[in-house]
Amino acid sequence: MWAEVRRHLGGFSSPVLTAVDRDGYPVSIRCAPELDEAEQVLRISLPEWTGIRPGPASLLCHGHNQLLWNLRSFMVRGIIEPAGGDAWLFRPTRFIPGIGVGGLPGMVRFALAKRRAAARYLQRRGLARPRIDWAQLKAVQARARQPSPPSLRSPG
Amino acid sequence: MNLPIPEEVEAVFREFRTCEFSTLAADGTPITWPMLPFWRAETGQFMTTTSIGLPDKAFNIRRNPRVSLLFSDPTGSGLFDPPAVLVQGDAVAPDEVKTSIGGFENEIMLVYRRQPAGAMYTSNPATRWFSDWYFMRLEITVTPRRILWWEHGQISRPPTVVEAIHVG
Repeated sequence: MWAEVRRHLGGFSSPVLTAVDRDGYPVSIRCAPELDEAEQVLRISLPEWTGIRPGPASLLCHGHNQLLWNLRSFMVRGIIEPAGGDAWLFRPTRFIPGIGVGGLPGMVRFALAKRRAAARYLQRRGLARPRIDWAQLKAVQARARQPSPPSLRSPG
Repeated sequence: MNLPIPEEVEAVFREFRTCEFSTLAADGTPITWPMLPFWRAETGQFMTTTSIGLPDKAFNIRRNPRVSLLFSDPTGSGLFDPPAVLVQGDAVAPDEVKTSIGGFENEIMLVYRRQPAGAMYTSNPATRWFSDWYFMRLEITVTPRRILWWEHGQISRPPTVVEAIHVG
């Protein structure tokens, strides 16, 4: 697991660390972890304002290009603990590949696993697999290729 | 609902392509994945969706509604030097599988405008079979409780904070 963290982390300059604050809400912050090979932990500096509690945490690395493509992501579950001052230690416990990790075989595995997960979701509720209205989607895609009216530049 | 946030923060909500969306797993671990958020200024809420092939976010929310959205990657947004923004809030994720675009047409069109290559998933029968699960969606609505932001994304400094729960 450490080898996977080390191999994939190098492609990202500012992962997102998420822990839990004093009110029990998730709090996320971009960080610059340093690998401690001897201890197999990540050393992270965090500003005081975060108010995070030691305990379960995660580290997300992700990215996309200007056209929201070339998606890449993975997450590492772990434990965050104080190490004095603004220094913290993140102890990885599980590497979870997301999209774009593992090349084409990884993509196929990802999609087939999610297809099975969807089938389980439906089966447990006694629901038939719904049919997607592809023609309707294609029509929206065609409209999306037209020049953008101002109202569609902002979803709100 | 008019939240007391500056236009530059609302611009982040409107224009960022992704946010880092966190829910809490059963053991308390915050689970964070990139998501496509849609800001609904008229209600002061965020809408997003997840596939039933990736239902853990919805399961987590049904168990514990506390979530957060971090807007920290401006790639593709067209914004210059935007603030970084963290939204903490409470979410609902009803157990209703949606496959129709009804009610979401503007959001779906916006996704295809921002991610034109995404059309490949619907381009032929093989890709449709392979990806139909992606279009079986659960709606997630987030009501902000607290909004924090950092000018120029300088997160080493204390943020500006708005407690949204007391507004409106």
